[in-house]
Amino acid sequence: MALLEGQGLSMAFGGLLALRGVDIAVEERQVVGLLGPNGSGKTTLFNILSGLLHPTAGEIWFGGTRVTNLRPWQISRLGIGRTFQIARPFVHSTVFDNVLVGVTFRSRDHVSRGEDRRREAERLLATVGLAGKASALAHTLSLGERKRLELAMALSTRPTLLLLDELASGLSPKGREEVVRFYGQLKERGLTIFAIEHSFRVLARVADRLLVLDQGAIVADGRPEQVLGSPRVVTAYLGEEE
Amino acid sequence: MPRRGWIGTSLVAAALLLFPPLSGFHPYYLYLVSTALLFGTLATSWNLLAYAGQISFGHAAFFGLGGYTAALVSLSGLSPWLALALGGAVGASGAAAIGMASARLSGASLALGTLAYTEIWRGIAHNWTAVSGGGAGLIGIPPLTPLPWLPLDLARSRTGSYYLALAFLLLVIAVFWGILRSRLGLAFAAVREEEERASLLGVHPLPWKVLAFALSGFFSGLAGGLYVNMVRVVEPDLIFSHYFSILPLVMATFGGLGTLLGPALAALALYLASELLLHPYIPAFHQLPYALALIVVALYLPGGLAGLLPSPSPLPKRGEGETRHGAA
Amino acid sequence: MSSHTFVQALLSGILLGCFYAVMALGFSMILGVTRALNLAHGDLIILGGYLGYWLWSGSGLHPLLLVPVAGAALLPLALLCQWLFQRLPEPKELSSLMLTFGLSLLLQNFMLGLWRGEYRIIASEPLTASVRVGSLVLNQGRLIVAAAALILVAALYLGLTRTRWGRAVRATSLDREAAALLGINVDEATRTTFLLAFGLSGGAGVLFATLHYLYPAGGIEVTLLAIVLTIWAGAGRLRSVLLASILLGVIETLTLTWSGPRWRELVVALMLLGSLLARSGGLARSRSR
Ligand SMILES: Nc1ncnc2c1ncn2[C@@H]1O[C@H](COP(=O)(O)OP(=O)(O)OP(=O)(O)O)[C@@H](O)[C@H]1O
Ligand SMILES: [Mg+2]
Repeated sequence: MALLEGQGLSMAFGGLLALRGVDIAVEERQVVGLLGPNGSGKTTLFNILSGLLHPTAGEIWFGGTRVTNLRPWQISRLGIGRTFQIARPFVHSTVFDNVLVGVTFRSRDHVSRGEDRRREAERLLATVGLAGKASALAHTLSLGERKRLELAMALSTRPTLLLLDELASGLSPKGREEVVRFYGQLKERGLTIFAIEHSFRVLARVADRLLVLDQGAIVADGRPEQVLGSPRVVTAYLGEEE
Repeated sequence: MPRRGWIGTSLVAAALLLFPPLSGFHPYYLYLVSTALLFGTLATSWNLLAYAGQISFGHAAFFGLGGYTAALVSLSGLSPWLALALGGAVGASGAAAIGMASARLSGASLALGTLAYTEIWRGIAHNWTAVSGGGAGLIGIPPLTPLPWLPLDLARSRTGSYYLALAFLLLVIAVFWGILRSRLGLAFAAVREEEERASLLGVHPLPWKVLAFALSGFFSGLAGGLYVNMVRVVEPDLIFSHYFSILPLVMATFGGLGTLLGPALAALALYLASELLLHPYIPAFHQLPYALALIVVALYLPGGLAGLLPSPSPLPKRGEGETRHGAA
Repeated sequence: MSSHTFVQALLSGILLGCFYAVMALGFSMILGVTRALNLAHGDLIILGGYLGYWLWSGSGLHPLLLVPVAGAALLPLALLCQWLFQRLPEPKELSSLMLTFGLSLLLQNFMLGLWRGEYRIIASEPLTASVRVGSLVLNQGRLIVAAAALILVAALYLGLTRTRWGRAVRATSLDREAAALLGINVDEATRTTFLLAFGLSGGAGVLFATLHYLYPAGGIEVTLLAIVLTIWAGAGRLRSVLLASILLGVIETLTLTWSGPRWRELVVALMLLGSLLARSGGLARSRSR
């Protein structure tokens, strides 16, 4: 069984069907990319997987446990971490505290010592290159720095599966290179990654498998070179490449 | 500098606060300052709850629950000290109960919910005559008994309640200070700033919110118990009065939300100013400063109440202090 | 409860409901056009009541004649409050609660200063008599108040549905920005809504004072009642407010026939908490999202 499995996931917002019976499977230690035009339901899928939304239909299993309808903190404690497309840090707290939250509350056992937690938070900030910003307030960060903070926050709960929502969007070519390198590092650490990106070029370089979503349905699923050659994907995207 | 400044100021303030009884203040003034200290406790406990993102328009409920409990327990012949403690406990439970509503309510809806909650308790106190004495309330509440290890005459002078009020205020400030630098403070701040995000990081918001309510209700209940002990009567319309909800709200927002000492200082300043400067001359309008302060805060503080909520504490947390003050 | 008492309570409840509608409308209209919650609403009604009482005890005029006078007396306050509400920062729901909590305290202090803490009621002769309809006994004052209330609501309803002004107000309540884009003068619509809402509340105060004792802190109960009705009906929906008011009037009369009048405040507060919990969304949002 795959690490993450979703079957027949549907989500309706009033009359709008944002997802229509989506099946997904993410194997352990793979990097799976999720592509799709604007409004195709990618973020909605992540919201369902992380417990922020409850699907109107369908089931989700993570590591063999049924997690459909669990609440966000329960899912987080089971080992799913996520980032947001538009960074959502605790803007009036320090960068350090932003990361400390996950380190402190990720599990119910409160045995860890304050000193250890602090050291771990510092290490996380160093990993994403924000060590120098530890005591800055989060709302003073630049866009690139916010993205790094998002990643550090997602990592702070020690997830086994990371849901990354458009980490590379809006960054300079240099920033994107860095994101590609991050993907490599995370994979080396044994993490499983499910990543939304708008850019084919980024995903083609990092993904083991690609899924394409269009109007709430999966229209392609396979190895990057297969998927990117498929005519359905080309129609879905017509001129979408950035 | 701000940190040193705060410590210096608080030492001076503490010295000043020890002074009035020793210098033979007139009992009436001693009573006024004691009441001001009680409002300081109430305002600080309101602020503690607001630190977790929960705006209360109903602290009178917690205050009144503490007051009624203390009155009933001490009238039943048990020790008034036990009565005070139980007042705190009942204040905490009553606050935790309405805190459960924060699972579904937030912001203005929660504020209205807490307002209705006060009215509910006032209604109960009015109607449950057998226990509460109904609209006439309870009278003849016994004074605090002397304690062998405490060299204070609590029964006959106002000095005892003065020091007790001071002790309560210092206690709530110390507890808040401790919270700001503990995992509690971290959870409260996270829930306040972005509840959803916090929940994705393993924080289950409701228990933390309920805990904040309970802590705030505990200190409000203590204050209510001591208040009843000072005035010796308790009536539904007097103690479940919105006065005890408005004042902490005004004092905390005026003094600075999320700051450690601001609400207490504002409480002392506003209360004493209105009682000493306005009351003797225009008794009917002595509440004017609170009303005006509330209107000014609502209109002119950037982002209003909600915008103020997430302001960082003036105290450095967990040793990360250096740049906290400059920004914002 | 015999069927006779039931019918009696039902009728009294309907009369009470018409009166409640007038007491709630001002709150609901202002919430509609400004998204602001006016906690001082009940205090305005009490203020109108005191003005009516003061005029009545000085002149001995029929209380109904004083309804427009008390209404007009609150108009300057309407302009002041509109000016204040405009300046409220977002989110308006919370900042308006704070502002009007302060205004409420201010008004209470003002009334306390002018009229002391004494209880007042307009005990006008023609209002205290009772009328027999078959075997039912109805209080004439309540009948008159309900009739006056219905006339006010009907006039307002016609104004809102049949005039240019009404269209502007309804459009503003629905979506302020869109209304402004369509060339509707939203400021004008807001100002007239405030004037009407305050006038209505002042007049309702006189009606209130013929049925209930006035005291400076008595406004909160009226405010809670208006909020409950607005939650039930949705902001600024006139017909729904009337229906909700009658429903509440009937529920209240029936529960009070059963439990005794002293539980009234408690029932209203419980209904508010219950309605908030059942609804758990923003108050200003219309019911059919
Ligand atoms: N909470 C919500 N309520 C109502 N509609 C929503 C909600 N969230 C998303 N939608 C709608 O569902 C559809 C899918 O949105 P979603 O954010 O999942 O798209 P996306 O693929 O992430 O797009 P993008 O590339 O722009 O990020 C859109 O039409 C959006 O408007
Ligand atoms: Mg998206």
